[in-house]
Amino acid sequence: MRFLREQLDNGLEIIAEVTDGGLSTSIGFFVRTGARDESDDLWGASHFLEHMVFKGTADLSADEINRRFDWMGASANAFTSEEDTVYHAAVLPSQQHEAVDLLARMMRPALRDEDFATEKLVILEEIRMYDDQPPFGADDRCRAAFFGQHPLARSVLGTVESIQALRVEAMREYHRRRYSPGNIVLAATGAVDFAALVESAKRLCGNWQSAETPDRRQSVKAVASDHLDYIVRPTAALEYAVRMTAGPAGDDDDRFAAKLLSVALGDDSGSRLYWSLVDSGDAEHASCHHHDFLDSGLMITQLSCDAADVDPLLTRILDMYRDAATQGISQQEFSQARNKLAGRVVLEGERPRRRLFHVGLEWAHGGVYRSVADNLRIVENLSVADLERVMARWPLDGPGVTVLAGPAGAEPSSPAG
Amino acid sequence: MTQTLFSTTLPNGIVLLGEELPGLESVAVAFHSPAGAIHDGPGRCGLATLSGEMMLRGAGSRSSRRIVEDLEGAGVQWAQTVSMSHASFSGAMVARQLADALPIYADILRRPLLAEEELENARQMVLQNLAGTEDDPAHRAILSLREIHYPSPWGMPSEGLSADVERLTVANVREFVATHVRPRGAIIAIAGRIDWDDFVPRIEQLFGDWNTGAVESVAAGPRGPRVRHVPHDSQQTHIALAWSAPPYHSDDSYEATAALAVLGGGSSSRLFSEVRERRGLCYSVSAGYQTHRDFAMALCYSGTTAARAQETLDVMLAEIRRLPGTIQEAELERVKARAKSALVMQQESSAARAGAIARQWYHLGKVRTLAEELDRYDRLSVRSIEEWLAQHPIADLSVVSLGREPLEVRDAVSA
Repeated sequence: MRFLREQLDNGLEIIAEVTDGGLSTSIGFFVRTGARDESDDLWGASHFLEHMVFKGTADLSADEINRRFDWMGASANAFTSEEDTVYHAAVLPSQQHEAVDLLARMMRPALRDEDFATEKLVILEEIRMYDDQPPFGADDRCRAAFFGQHPLARSVLGTVESIQALRVEAMREYHRRRYSPGNIVLAATGAVDFAALVESAKRLCGNWQSAETPDRRQSVKAVASDHLDYIVRPTAALEYAVRMTAGPAGDDDDRFAAKLLSVALGDDSGSRLYWSLVDSGDAEHASCHHHDFLDSGLMITQLSCDAADVDPLLTRILDMYRDAATQGISQQEFSQARNKLAGRVVLEGERPRRRLFHVGLEWAHGGVYRSVADNLRIVENLSVADLERVMARWPLDGPGVTVLAGPAGAEPSSPAG
Repeated sequence: MTQTLFSTTLPNGIVLLGEELPGLESVAVAFHSPAGAIHDGPGRCGLATLSGEMMLRGAGSRSSRRIVEDLEGAGVQWAQTVSMSHASFSGAMVARQLADALPIYADILRRPLLAEEELENARQMVLQNLAGTEDDPAHRAILSLREIHYPSPWGMPSEGLSADVERLTVANVREFVATHVRPRGAIIAIAGRIDWDDFVPRIEQLFGDWNTGAVESVAAGPRGPRVRHVPHDSQQTHIALAWSAPPYHSDDSYEATAALAVLGGGSSSRLFSEVRERRGLCYSVSAGYQTHRDFAMALCYSGTTAARAQETLDVMLAEIRRLPGTIQEAELERVKARAKSALVMQQESSAARAGAIARQWYHLGKVRTLAEELDRYDRLSVRSIEEWLAQHPIADLSVVSLGREPLEVRDAVSA
């Protein structure tokens, strides 16, 4: 695998991890914009804009875009998060040019009034769909309470009210500011013809106008005390708990150890939470994982179980975290977690479609490229001491926000988190 | 693209399949035993799933915990699933770990302890999963659709029914495993960085002297009503429709699935264009295909706000009715491009290929080469699809709505 990089005069960066003899090519435009870059009157605009990008350009209709993706046999989609909006397509190598051409054109959408009105209905359906599904908004509510006044408090989808109030003029202005070439990375993985990629980018993106993009980092005020909140869903079969505590940020070297720690303590199988809560049938699901942002990080614990059991089980989880911090992690469970993580790195490394997101997001966030071998080396160099340091720096049993969604909470009982 | 496929059958009936995928470091192996949920038996819905779970809870000299520690310690990404037809145990790993992983799977399949003291925990785990399913409206709608569309027991939920799972005993589990987890009908598939000449003798050593169980056939029973409403406290109403389609082993399944793809297989499909893009009625709408060995179904799904659900159903039905006689050349070309591209890209995943070759053997009794599949897509034409649709009109739809209010099935497609 080779890594290549180029930058256009207007600031657009082009990167590629090239696999000689690869069977497919994955292409993505990574725009450094998301829910954290919105204001109150733009709440939900990043995600709504992601939908609108598929509605056409000045000379391409939405139908034409859909037909062209299907025509080239592309597996194409997009997603929006708190920090990123990513448009991606996986195609056979012979279709590289077509895929880049279409995605690049889409980055300059028409944002027509009538499309905006129709797509608004789809966004409202998406909000309702998630509202009907576990964890019934507990994750968004938890993040909002954890981050308080910090921009990361904002949910990606927005609310029914914020979407209804959003104006197309505001979205156009948001697009002009945030989809500036200096704020976008064009990334490719797999069987990439890099010279052709750069040629395409020059031709299609070279005339994009730049806008100023301010630094997005903001310090996060730590949560000082425990906070507990309820979303009452009387007819839900299970109670869904989400608990967030502080973890290492995206620029902190301890984030790798935090990921390994979460595998040892709270992976979907073979972890401490698994043996205590899931294998026993006490809970439907119990897990812990680490998520990092540019300027902050979270350790996220998720539990689903019978509503009557949620308090004692959350207490059990906190006791397990405390026990791990004081008694340490055994060499056996450390090795198991490390080998599991290393296996995942290798398997994901074989799929250009998966690699695209790793390579593109790492570059968009920190201007860093790490090969699969680099990632393996990082995992293999971790030690038990690294995990113990993470537990000391970011205590999992420390102050955190817990949100419960389900039948419990009609009468709030003892605080569990 | 050259393809290296292997297959052999052991004297006890186990079929071994392999595919070498150049350029990969990983290998994926999957053990499929014919202990699927169609063998649950009346009043025992969930027995196969409980048995699959129990098989992981101690086998040979390994405790429940040791099995997981040994697999994960070797970096194996493992999974256990029970479908209507099979109980499957699989793993993907760096190729050098395979030799250590195979004996663990041999223990699970041949020497599960099925200990009484594990039963309650396993039962609770199955019940927890069932409770979780209750909160997933889209999944519930599809389960309900399968239930009314397929004859019993194929329409029963492989996850089980709580009332039945509550009553199952360790004796039920032991009898089920002794009868259905057996070499005849079992498939072991491996793909990725494989050494076939090393793999076959290892499997012979681990499984060659396995000779248990007898083949049992299952008779198809009655099916449910055509239309069902499932009350559910949700903002959205979920709509699921099904009609019969040829099973995968039937050559005209290509015509049937191509017609379905035109209807709802991609973002340029008719359902997506009309229901979502033009009318903004929903976030998700699609058409798909599910196959058992002897019968299959075409299904369409959408979820939308209750107030717009009737319009969504009406538009979906109108698109289904409009399909015969209107398929365009360009639509078929897009369907072919997507299918062929997906086939080639599947070669990048050892786990996907191990799954695909086992599925083909189960349905066809052989593995189709990539060249054969691509050639079959090339032979699809608008004419062949239209002729097939004319001979097999879409009729007798099964319709499920799940939400606060039932929907009216107006002018259902019942030619």
